[in-house]
Amino acid sequence: MSRIIDIGLEELSVMLCRMGELTYQAISLSLKGCLNGTNEHSQVCEMSDALVSMSEQAEDKAFELIARFQPVASDLRTIKSYMKIAYDFARYGRYALDISYINEQYGGLKHCEHWILEHIEKMSEKVLDMVRISIDSLRKHDVKLAETISKTEKEVDSMYFRYLDELVKRASGTNKCTISSVLIVRYLERIADHATYICESVVYVATGQKVNLR
Amino acid sequence: MISLAYLALVAALIPLASILVETIFRGLSAMSFSFFLEEISPLGEPGGGIGPAIQGTLIVVALASSIGVPIGVFSGIYLAEFRQARMASVARFLNDVLTNVPSIVLGIFGWTFVVVAIGWSVVAGAIALAIMMIPIITRTTEEAIRLVPATMREAAIALGVPRWKTTLTVVLSSAKKGIATGILLSVARISGETAPLLLTILGSRFWFSGFTQPTAALPVAVFNFSQSPYRLIDWPRAWGASLILIFIILAINIIVRYATREKYGASNI
Amino acid sequence: MSYKIEIENLNAWFSGKQVLRDITMKIKENMVTSIIGPSGCGKTTLIRCLNRMHELTPGAKATGRVLLDGGDIYSEGIDPVTVRRRIGMVFQKPNPFPMMSIYDNTVAGLKLNGVSDKHRLDETVEKSLRAAHLWDEVKADLGKSGASLSGGQQQRLCIARALAIEPEVILMDEPTSALDPTAASKIEQLIRVLSQDYTVIIVTHNMQQAARVSDCTAFLYLGKLVEYGSTKDIFENPKSELTEKYITGEFG
Repeated sequence: MSRIIDIGLEELSVMLCRMGELTYQAISLSLKGCLNGTNEHSQVCEMSDALVSMSEQAEDKAFELIARFQPVASDLRTIKSYMKIAYDFARYGRYALDISYINEQYGGLKHCEHWILEHIEKMSEKVLDMVRISIDSLRKHDVKLAETISKTEKEVDSMYFRYLDELVKRASGTNKCTISSVLIVRYLERIADHATYICESVVYVATGQKVNLR
Repeated sequence: MISLAYLALVAALIPLASILVETIFRGLSAMSFSFFLEEISPLGEPGGGIGPAIQGTLIVVALASSIGVPIGVFSGIYLAEFRQARMASVARFLNDVLTNVPSIVLGIFGWTFVVVAIGWSVVAGAIALAIMMIPIITRTTEEAIRLVPATMREAAIALGVPRWKTTLTVVLSSAKKGIATGILLSVARISGETAPLLLTILGSRFWFSGFTQPTAALPVAVFNFSQSPYRLIDWPRAWGASLILIFIILAINIIVRYATREKYGASNI
Repeated sequence: MSYKIEIENLNAWFSGKQVLRDITMKIKENMVTSIIGPSGCGKTTLIRCLNRMHELTPGAKATGRVLLDGGDIYSEGIDPVTVRRRIGMVFQKPNPFPMMSIYDNTVAGLKLNGVSDKHRLDETVEKSLRAAHLWDEVKADLGKSGASLSGGQQQRLCIARALAIEPEVILMDEPTSALDPTAASKIEQLIRVLSQDYTVIIVTHNMQQAARVSDCTAFLYLGKLVEYGSTKDIFENPKSELTEKYITGEFG
C-alpha cells in the first residue's frame, strides 16, 4: 500500500509537469513569433492565463497537503520546492507573454539587422534548452541533469552582457529594433534565471542541500 | 508478618495433610480387587467388598447432576443476561439462601416429598442432591458469564448475531472454564454428602436394582461401617471406602481440568 | 454522488440525559467520513445509533430517522440484526475472539449465522484477510489463536472479520487509538483502500488522523453537529469559529 500522502504528492507532481510542458510551448511559440514576424500574442495570452490559474491550483494543492498530512523531511522539502517551482513556471508564462506583447506592439525582429537577429536567435536557443533541462530534471528528479544548467547559465549571462555592449557600440539611435531587442534579451536572461532556480529546487528536493547554480 | 503467615499456613495444612495420610494408610490395608467388585457382606462378616457402594455413588451423583446441571446452568445464564429483571433479584436472593441450607434439611425434604410417595429410592437421593447442586452451579455460572468482557459480546452482536445466539455460543464458550469449575465444585461436594442420602436412599448391601429402589453409596457405607461394633473387620472397610471416595473426587477434578484446559496459550489481550 | 446514509433529526439519550441533539447529515457513498470532537461530544453514540447498537445499553433511547439506501433502519418492522449485517463495526480495542483461531475468527460472522460450507468459508477467509492486508502475514498458520497476533494485526483481523459478512458500510470507533504509530499508519492506509469498495465512517479523537484519512469531516460538540464539509475545507478554512478553535487546539 502506498502512503496516503503519496497520492497527493503525485497529483501535485503531475500538475507541475503539465505546467512545465505548457510553459515550454508558450516560450517557444512567442520566440518563434518574434523571430519569424508572426503574431502569436492571443495564443500566448491564453497559455499565460492558463499557467497563472494552474499555478494557483498547485499552490492550493500544496497548502492542502500541508494542512492535512503534516509532511516532514523529504515530503516537506518537496512540497516547499513545488510551490516555488509553480511560481517559477508562472513567471515563464509571464515572460513569454511579455515577449509576444513586444512582438505585437513593435513588429518583432524579422526586419532588424542581421547581427541583432543572430544574437537573439542564439540566445533563444540556449534559453529554450535551459527551459527544457529545468522541466526534464523536475520530472525525473534528476540532480545530475539539474547541475548541468550551471554552465549554460553562465553562457547566457555573458551573451546578455555582450549584446548590451554591442548594442551600445553599434546601434544608431533608438528604434523599434533596439527597444524590442533590449527588452527581449532582458526577458530571456530572466527566463534563464528562473530555469536555474528551478534546477536549484530540484537539487534541494533530492538532497536537502541548498546549492547555487548561478 | 511473613512468618506469622507461614505459621498460619502450616497450621491449616496440618489437619489436611493428616487426613490424607491417615486415609491413605488405613484405607490401603483394605484395598484389593475384590474390595471393588464384591457385594457388601453383613457387618462383622469378613470378606466381600464395597462394589455396590461405588456403583451407587456414581449412579446417584450422575442422576443428580443430570437434573442439577442443566437447571443450574440455565438459571445462571438467565441471572447473568437479565440482571435487571425483577424476577432476577428475587431468584438471586433465594439462590443465596439455598446455598446455605443444612444438608440434613434437604434430606428431610427429599424424605417427605419423595420417599413417602415412592419409597426409599435412588430418585429421592438424586433429587435431594440436585437441590444441593443447583444454587452452587447457578451462582458460579452467573459469575463466569459476567466475567466475559462486554467487548466480546459486542463484537458478536456487531456481526449481526442475535443476542440469544451470542449468549449460547460466544459467551458460553468463553465462560466454559468457569462454568465447568462450578459444576466440578458442586459434583465434588455432593459426592461426599451423607445426610441427604441417609434419609433418601437408605443404603443397601446389594447392587443397583432400579431407580425407585434403595441403593448403597460410599458415604452411607462409611457411616454404617464405622458404627459397627466389629472394629477389626469393619473399620478398615470404612477407611477403604473413604479412600475410594477421595479418589473419585480427585479423578473428577483432574478430568474436568483437562477437558477445559486452554487450547491455546494464555491470551495477550 | 449518492448518499449511502441519511441521518434526519437524530436525538439520543442515556438514562434521561440527552447526548445527541437533532443531528441531520448525509453520508456520501464510497468515501471516508470522519467524526471529530472533544470527549463526550457524542461521536461514539452517533455511530452506535447507525448500527442500532446504542439501544442495547440499558436506559438508552434514540429518536429520528436513519436512512440506509433510502430505507429507515429504525422503522417498525426492521430487525436490528439485519441492519448490523449491512453496517459492520470495528471497535477501539481490538477484540478478536480469544478462544477461536484466525480462521474461525475471520468467518465467525458467517459461521454463527449458520454457514457451514467449507469451500465458501475457505474462500471468504482468504478474500477477507487479503482485503484487510493481513493474508500474507498469517496465511502460513491460520489455526493459531486470534489472540496471539500483535495489536495491529489483531485490529486487521477484526477488520477482516467485519468484511467477511460483506457489509456495505463500515463503522470504526477510534480504530487506532490502542495501537502504536506504525500499526496505526497501516490501518489508515487500509481505510483509504477500503473506501473504494465500502462507505467508511470513522470516529476519532485524533484530528490529524481525520485530516489524513477522510474525505469529509463532521465536527460534533456537546451533542450538536457544528460543521460538516469536505476535509480540505474544514482544515484549511472552517466556517464556524468553534470549529476553528477546536482544530487549532484552543480547547478540547
